[in-house]
Amino acid sequence: MSAEYIEEQLSYLLPIYYKRLFPSLPFYRWLSYGKSTNFSKREISFTLIGDIYLRFQSFDTHADFVNELCKRFPIKIDIGCVYQTKPRDKNMLTALIPVFKEVVFDIDMTDYDEIRTCCSGADVCNKCWKFMAIASKIIDATLREDFGFKHILWVFSGRRGIHAWVCDESARTLDDNVRSAIVEYMYVIKGGLGTSKKVNLVGNVHHSLKRALSIIDKYFIQSILKDQDILGTQERLDCFLNMVDEEVREIFRGNMRKLETSEQRWHSFEKTFADLQSKGQLSRGGRNMIEEMKLYYAYPRLDVNVSKALNHLLKAPFCVHPKTGKICIPFNVKNVDNFDLNNVPTLNQLMEQIDLYDKKTKEQDNMTMETDESTLNKFKIKDYKKTSLLGPVNIFMEFLRGLESKSEKRKMENADLNF
Amino acid sequence: MDTNARRRRIHTAVVSTDAGIYNHDLSLYSDFPKNPLGLPEFEELALERLQLLRIIENAALKGHKMYSDDWRNCIKEDLVKNNLKKYVRLMNGANGQGGADFQARRADHLSHYILRLAYCRSEDLRRWFLSREMEWFKIKFMAQTSAGVMQFLNINSLKYMPISNDIKDDIKSELMDSTPGLSHAVLSTIDIYKVPFTDVLPLIKSRRTYLKEGYAFIPMSDLVVCIQSKFRATLSESLNQINHRLSNVDDDRLNDLLCNLHNTYTGKEYIENPNKDAVDIGDLNDYSKKHFPLCMRHLHEVLRANHHLRHSGRLIYGLFLKSIGVLYEQFIEFWRQEFTKIMDNNKFDKDYLYNFNHQFGKVGKMVSYAPYSCIKIIMGNVGPGEAHGCPFKHWDVSYLKTKLNEYGGTQESIQEVINLVTNGHYQIACTKYFECAHGQPPVNSINHPNQYFEESMTLIKGRNKDK
Ligand code: SF4
Ligand SMILES: [Zn+2]
Repeated sequence: MSAEYIEEQLSYLLPIYYKRLFPSLPFYRWLSYGKSTNFSKREISFTLIGDIYLRFQSFDTHADFVNELCKRFPIKIDIGCVYQTKPRDKNMLTALIPVFKEVVFDIDMTDYDEIRTCCSGADVCNKCWKFMAIASKIIDATLREDFGFKHILWVFSGRRGIHAWVCDESARTLDDNVRSAIVEYMYVIKGGLGTSKKVNLVGNVHHSLKRALSIIDKYFIQSILKDQDILGTQERLDCFLNMVDEEVREIFRGNMRKLETSEQRWHSFEKTFADLQSKGQLSRGGRNMIEEMKLYYAYPRLDVNVSKALNHLLKAPFCVHPKTGKICIPFNVKNVDNFDLNNVPTLNQLMEQIDLYDKKTKEQDNMTMETDESTLNKFKIKDYKKTSLLGPVNIFMEFLRGLESKSEKRKMENADLNF
Repeated sequence: MDTNARRRRIHTAVVSTDAGIYNHDLSLYSDFPKNPLGLPEFEELALERLQLLRIIENAALKGHKMYSDDWRNCIKEDLVKNNLKKYVRLMNGANGQGGADFQARRADHLSHYILRLAYCRSEDLRRWFLSREMEWFKIKFMAQTSAGVMQFLNINSLKYMPISNDIKDDIKSELMDSTPGLSHAVLSTIDIYKVPFTDVLPLIKSRRTYLKEGYAFIPMSDLVVCIQSKFRATLSESLNQINHRLSNVDDDRLNDLLCNLHNTYTGKEYIENPNKDAVDIGDLNDYSKKHFPLCMRHLHEVLRANHHLRHSGRLIYGLFLKSIGVLYEQFIEFWRQEFTKIMDNNKFDKDYLYNFNHQFGKVGKMVSYAPYSCIKIIMGNVGPGEAHGCPFKHWDVSYLKTKLNEYGGTQESIQEVINLVTNGHYQIACTKYFECAHGQPPVNSINHPNQYFEESMTLIKGRNKDK
């Protein structure tokens, strides 16, 4: 069944979505971190239809939050940081003092435009999505193995990018300095419009980059060389060769030009490199050329500004992307290779799935008219379980269980908050 | 100098309770000075330390690679020239126990505290002071032998435990891959310390250490980074505290001294446009060619070509424009004109206007942000698709050459600039570029894009008058 998405539909579909499908309880539990004031002092901003941006909102209870969601049905929800006082009570005289926020990462496909060849701008397909798969794996491994973080939530941003939320307590309270340092640790592709060689490795290759390279290697031939065809045209080859040291560039060009496909050209590059190296014809700076190239074509390209500051807002999981209608669903990095952009549920699809379900159980139609909170909650469970939102919600729940198992000793203040 | 002060200084120096804290050349200045100090000596110490810190800063501006031998020698020479031999004494790592050594450490200690008072007053001053103090600390630290370091750690009760040899063996290859300069031979002779990664952020930023599950594994030579970060944190906190309490200084003379120290002797911040001549946005194309440093000219040209700049570019160029004297309404108008070539007014209002108002201090925290200095631009990151950054630092040499050619430099002058660049002397290169463009060098070496602009304007105005 095709569920062609139309923007105008938002105004009547969104209220239903928030009422029946949006997993507001797990969402609330997540941002509470076992303490209701964590939620009530958190900035949650809404963007309403017509691009009305409401900042510095906060909600005292889960019920308040749900009510506002259903009443205002935002087309976008952004999460900011937890302040010392409720952001809602902000006034001209007192500044809001930030207390904590997750460490977040934002990777957007537009930062790959200089290397991706299948699409550009807002477009994205399963071929270039591989960049996101690689990025999420590398960042996830770095955060866990190098920095020791454990509670990381990965979310599809609804269109062409991904977000990561690092929720460990130790991460949430880090100051801006530490955040920048973490980002810079992962900032490998440097230089703007005036730089052709954007990756420079001096000396031994750092342990974290070796790990990244081993991840990249699993994708390099198929996704980068074949799918992206990075060396397939004259122009792309020139681009590539511009990154090679001038002294040996023509040797490479001569060898690579003789061949046709990207894959052949790359192998020729590797072979030429080995030759030159054995003859001692490479300068010291050229020693890591192969690694540099792989990183340039596949290493994550972060939007560093998002991660550096404590008070930067980021779109919440389970939002509906207003242009694509796609839900910003959490995903599991371990299974990211199976993530298919075409299978991301859209608002319309979900509505159809619900309708189908509703038709089957007629009496429930009447029940949803009820406004009583507890009845609603009961039916919410059934609602999302009858749709393709089930998988993503389960991933979210799994993440939540991990988070809560650690802070279990600090008892949940609201014992009845079992979703 | 007042002879009384001199006598008093000698007198206070021999008080035995003080001598205890002056045993080591290295100090974290954790003890608050207890003995009273006369104003003349106070002033003398303040100016001397200011000179010390400026000399350190200038050594890098002269193009010496920081912490290299050249750089150290340059600092030593300048200190000697300025009659500050006592500070040279603290740079040799000897930890001598003679009278002159104690005198030097006492001056180091007291003057550090005096400058805390003068440099706590604004974010920029604090940042400048912190950076210089960290450098001064490292200069002294690097001269220390491992025995000296151990002794220092003991005195300050800093406890770092090396990891066992077994553990070291397990992570040998990771350590060598990830720690620059750490060879097999070296590794077998030294101790490795395990510290929380938050203690060694500079090493994290530049990916110069092996990191595992939140801990960095560092050789002793990198312990300085840990100690510096502790020192920085306490000093920074103390500066903030003093700043809050400073209104209590009710001695006018003292107040004058502290404020003037800043006004007279530190570089300008360029927050307010000093020449007060408003710059018309219609003149920007012309100005960008004649009076902008390369970094700003590039931003301007990219903006004109793409009708858009990424976040950092907008910020850096915006603050620059504001400080050369573009007025608020014109400022907004300028950005709007460009951006609306690729988007409609609505989108501009929604996505960008707040940002530009913010730069001008019209919304948000309502603060006046200082434009970026060269150091800040040079040290900054430039990502793919971004146009900010210092051309001398961030561009490929070949691209820089092309651009300089395009802008009409002579082959000879371009080569000169390029030579400076390849040796890492970015600001000197910029200064040279100024000279080529104007036929005479700027009064001071370039350390701020707004300074470049002002020097260029003054020069041209002067010439126009001469005509
Ligand atoms: S040295 Fe300073 S003024 Fe000159 S281009 Fe670089 S950043 Fe701009
Ligand atoms: Zn694509």
